[in-house]
Amino acid sequence: MSDTKDATLTPEVRRLQQGMDEVWGNPKGLRALTVVNHTTVGLRFMVTGAVFFLIGGLLAMLIRTQLAFPDNDFMSPEIYNQVFTMHGTVMMFLFAIPILEGLAIYMIPKMIGARDLVCPRLTAFGYYCYLFGGIILFSSLLLEMAPASGWFMYTPLSSGEYSPGPGSDFWLLGITFVEISALSAGVELVVSILRTRTQGMALHKMPLFAWYILAMAVMIVVGFPPLILGSILLELERAAGMPFFEVAGGGDPVLWAHLFWLFGHPEVYIIFLPGAGIVSTLIPVFAGRPIVGYGWVVAAIIIMGFVSFGLWVHHMFTLGIPQLALAFFSAASMLVAIPTAIQIFAWLSTLWLGRPRMTLPMLWIIGFLIIFVLGGLTGVMLALVPFNWQVHDTHFVVAHMHYVLVGGMLFPLMAGLYYWLPQVSGRMPSERLGKWSFWLIFIGFNVTFLVMHWTGLLGMRRRVFTYDTAMGWDIYNLISSVGGFMMSAGVALLILDIALHFRFGRKAPQNPWGADTLEWAMPKPPTAYNFVSLPTVETRHPLWEKPDLSRTIYEGRHGLAHIDHGRRETWGSDALTGKLRETIHLPSNSWWPLFAALAIAAVCISLLVRVYWVGAVATLVAVVLLLRWSWENGAHPGKAPEASMAPSDPPLHYHTMNGPGVWCMSVSHLANGSLYLSLLFGWFYLWTVAPEWQMPDSSPLSMPMLVMGGAALTLGTFWLAKLVRRLRRGNDAGLGGGMYLAGGLGVLQSVLLMAVIWQAQLAPTETAHDATLLVALLYVLIHALLGATLCLLQGLRVGYGYVSAKVPMEPVVVLRFWYFHLVVYWSLFLAIWVLPTVLGGAS
Amino acid sequence: MRRLLSLTHPIHLVSGLTIWGIWFVAIYAGLSVACSVAPPEPESDMLTGINVGVGLATLVTTALLLWLAWASVAAGRKAELRRECYFAYISAGMFLFSAVSTLFVGYPIVFLPPCL
Amino acid sequence: MPLLGLLSGCAGEMSILDPAGPSASAQFWVWWAMFGFSMVVALVLFALWLYTFRRREQPKRTPREEQRIMLRWVIGGGILLPLASIVALLVLAAPTGRSMIPLPLPEGEAELIEVVGHQWWWEIRYPGENGEPDVVTANRLVMPAGEPVDFRLVSADVIHAFWIPRLGGKRDMVPGRHSVLRLEADVPGVFGAQCAEYCGAQHTNMLLHVEAMEREDYEAWLAERRAPRELQQGADEAQEAFGEHCAACHTVEGFPQELINDDMAHDIPGPDLTDIGSRPTLGAGVLPMEEGAIAYWLEHHQTLKPGNRMPPHNHIDTETLQDIGAWLETMEP
Repeated sequence: MSDTKDATLTPEVRRLQQGMDEVWGNPKGLRALTVVNHTTVGLRFMVTGAVFFLIGGLLAMLIRTQLAFPDNDFMSPEIYNQVFTMHGTVMMFLFAIPILEGLAIYMIPKMIGARDLVCPRLTAFGYYCYLFGGIILFSSLLLEMAPASGWFMYTPLSSGEYSPGPGSDFWLLGITFVEISALSAGVELVVSILRTRTQGMALHKMPLFAWYILAMAVMIVVGFPPLILGSILLELERAAGMPFFEVAGGGDPVLWAHLFWLFGHPEVYIIFLPGAGIVSTLIPVFAGRPIVGYGWVVAAIIIMGFVSFGLWVHHMFTLGIPQLALAFFSAASMLVAIPTAIQIFAWLSTLWLGRPRMTLPMLWIIGFLIIFVLGGLTGVMLALVPFNWQVHDTHFVVAHMHYVLVGGMLFPLMAGLYYWLPQVSGRMPSERLGKWSFWLIFIGFNVTFLVMHWTGLLGMRRRVFTYDTAMGWDIYNLISSVGGFMMSAGVALLILDIALHFRFGRKAPQNPWGADTLEWAMPKPPTAYNFVSLPTVETRHPLWEKPDLSRTIYEGRHGLAHIDHGRRETWGSDALTGKLRETIHLPSNSWWPLFAALAIAAVCISLLVRVYWVGAVATLVAVVLLLRWSWENGAHPGKAPEASMAPSDPPLHYHTMNGPGVWCMSVSHLANGSLYLSLLFGWFYLWTVAPEWQMPDSSPLSMPMLVMGGAALTLGTFWLAKLVRRLRRGNDAGLGGGMYLAGGLGVLQSVLLMAVIWQAQLAPTETAHDATLLVALLYVLIHALLGATLCLLQGLRVGYGYVSAKVPMEPVVVLRFWYFHLVVYWSLFLAIWVLPTVLGGAS
Repeated sequence: MRRLLSLTHPIHLVSGLTIWGIWFVAIYAGLSVACSVAPPEPESDMLTGINVGVGLATLVTTALLLWLAWASVAAGRKAELRRECYFAYISAGMFLFSAVSTLFVGYPIVFLPPCL
Repeated sequence: MPLLGLLSGCAGEMSILDPAGPSASAQFWVWWAMFGFSMVVALVLFALWLYTFRRREQPKRTPREEQRIMLRWVIGGGILLPLASIVALLVLAAPTGRSMIPLPLPEGEAELIEVVGHQWWWEIRYPGENGEPDVVTANRLVMPAGEPVDFRLVSADVIHAFWIPRLGGKRDMVPGRHSVLRLEADVPGVFGAQCAEYCGAQHTNMLLHVEAMEREDYEAWLAERRAPRELQQGADEAQEAFGEHCAACHTVEGFPQELINDDMAHDIPGPDLTDIGSRPTLGAGVLPMEEGAIAYWLEHHQTLKPGNRMPPHNHIDTETLQDIGAWLETMEP
């Protein structure tokens, strides 16, 4: 193994490294808030996530204290209900997902040989959304007005009538805010993994961890929007009285359950997949051989990603859905056993064929295996409908989900923590203290939750604040509480260990574990730009096959080793083959992410305190800030010094028409499409299933105006497509005027849509039918307005010279937006006008 | 576009499961709508048109997926690049898994009434 | 059987492991079968996993041999093992759920009892001749033993779940819809039941006392309550106070209309009190029914069950509450 310290640094290389530091380095002081670098923001994500973990853990200890003895009055029922609701919410939304996102944000560019993620400002924006959303949500606990309807917020318990206080609003707004963060990370991780791998790293040569994160990111993108929609609808019900989930108005509380679990089940796998990714990374390293069955594992990841979207109803087995429908979901849930088992046996055979070393990270991996396998086995049991009917909503389920989540996520995360700690700090973890904390946590966990299965089988429900001694649950609860405190002691020791580590840990060698992936080929602690020069990698195990890579990278002997242009650059490569396609010019530090997130926080808070005019102003400000942010793109001088002129090979991405921006727009539309499909699902669901649904005899919407609006949209889209085709041929004559024309058509469509809404005289607070129509129309109206705005801004940018035949990328991005809107508009027309008219008012 | 249709393209890693997903949504939605529009008499237990319909959809989808699995193996045999062969074989496995899953998930129609 | 000896520790009125009906028994055996099988799988897997760390000497293997070993593990353990397990589960165990479907019986009809979930108590309604409920009670469910009973489940407010662990699985009570759950008790007995879906502040104290009786006892129990009744004379003050403070929300069959004070807000119905004296508990399982218990409950109900929907009675003096309590205790069929 060679070391970056062994590198021979010529004055030229030194100058290169200094230049890199200047261009990529993080500013100090207040300007540290502008940092967009993935290493820094990834660490911020993880540290914030760890703080929320401690808060969530504290809440767990309160719960265990309350349940330690029968008839305990340590907490009042109201406080207890807030505590368990917040424990679930904090752990799921503010700890598990963000900390894994943080890990992916930190690690992915380093593993695939890139210098940063593809949308650095989005990384920072995501972090601020997470931080502010988390603070808003958490503040409710300090104000003693926390949500108290359980972490899945079933309506009508969470609705205005049964939860009149602001608790539910805190949850809905805070969580939606945090989800914006998850979506931002999801989108850019997908595009980064597909498009910024270093030269030669074909799809089937990338590290397995990247496959896991790719699957996780796609799942976030598709899986989160249903809950965002649900939260918007429920908040509209609570704030404006639109009865989406209220039976009397034609809504249905079961719709909330569907929307929640459509998100909620994939979420479990969103949490598990990165954990499994860590396991798949560590096991080959400590077995000293490549993972066996790479292709099998990739197949298993993809199967998990898909099948996990077909399981959501297994959280709803007792809701009174016909048993045959339940059986479909039951069978699909059992199927997950197969990809899980494939991975477990691939890991086992890797160990079998290798020479496994027992190290501290490996200890956590073994803990993972034991706990996760047990959780998986009870998971298969729970998939069986008749058994599920017995143990659903008991402590058996509580035990099961802690086994899968703690086993599947926390243990691998700790393994990863100890594994990658030297990469972050340059020091080796302690063996002794680390082992102590492992055993305390491992034993404490099992003492708490193994017994809890039994408590559940004896009939103890979840979410009860106390129990009668006659039930015979006393001793088991006491054991669980003791185990819980043992686990806390382990966590305390772990924190101590990490704190001491940064002070006393002994210096780590370049590649302390003998790993195979690129993140070990950089100086420690890592530089902001990761690699001085970007290597060509055509193997799955670069550091095993070329042990001197660390040194040669550091000596600037590979690609993109220039900095005199002052740009942050990384490679853009073909999604499939890893062939070089462009040089991606990444934006630098910026205030816009922070400002935009602050504006959105203002929106949330004004909605919470129900001062709607402030909310409206703040929304406007947020939109303006986001557009202002987007203004500094492409050939804007603030972003790109002399970019429109600079030659480079491969070409800078905005000189091409298929750069990462185009990909980001497509992936965002995956999310947007998922939101739209959830809305359509809500419409059809309420139409066919809601008990009191009322469909008027004829549609209140004006068909001619809807069709005219659609015609304007269609014309605009085809016009834009024509402009882009001409641009592709290098012809930008009349581009600016053309953009204004498309924008004008967008404005026309918006006006027509407003007229439709005005003319329809909807009564959205009376019936769920009108409320859903209104939301659907507003959804397309927002798209129409945004489409128009983007075109008008493009016209302006053409005038400034930021967009031209030389810099042709942005119109392609805008065109994708219009295509999406076109499909949405006409399919929505079909769903809300044509079908009801053809089928009549039948409900 | 042609490139995407070739079974050696990695897009087919997910097309088998996509077909499975579409089938899954279709039978679940179809069952829900059928039960809300025209629920059969409880007396007929599982011997209803709905069960038969779901069963036929299941068999047709399974057959389609099996055929695609076979075609992927054939495409993998003929592939020139190692990468293409690799993806074709994994895709074949995915089609096979999807076929088995379809049959497995559809199986409960033989012992359960549709709407109770 | 030694296994059953071990299980005697599982007795408890809410225990799934002490089944008293065919559904619960099926679920009980399915559980132990799954448990046993899972334990074997898990222990073998853990042993193999740990064994890989113990082996020191590794034979030299060609890539071809490695490939063969890998395929053996991954196909055998990763595909065949789980596939065989879940096929067995789907074919053998999933059909046990059929017994909980309210299919038409070979002969006759199952007894139908309607259960309404309220925040945080149970209303039980027995349909009479014309299908309308003619016996209404609360927090005590009486059912015939040895025959299937269909429970028609509805909710008056939020989602609740009806669960008698020793008889079988739970089913949610969803506002706006009803669902029918079929359960059967093998022999007469007393069982615990509880709300299993979290339903708000006092979800914990939403318990139900279930009694299964022989058919003739059950019918006699119903007949007693169907018989026309007269209110006990000589408790005028208590009745007046009841009419003044309680009757807007609580029904007592035969209570004189003219005494009911309509001014009180009564948008939330309270339990029917017609046979309250015969119920084993108060407040959906908070207090055992004893002499003086009702009066105690009336005075302290917001401390005993904080947040419950009955307004506090601070404005009513203790003596009046005691009067009402004493009078209510006589409310037996």
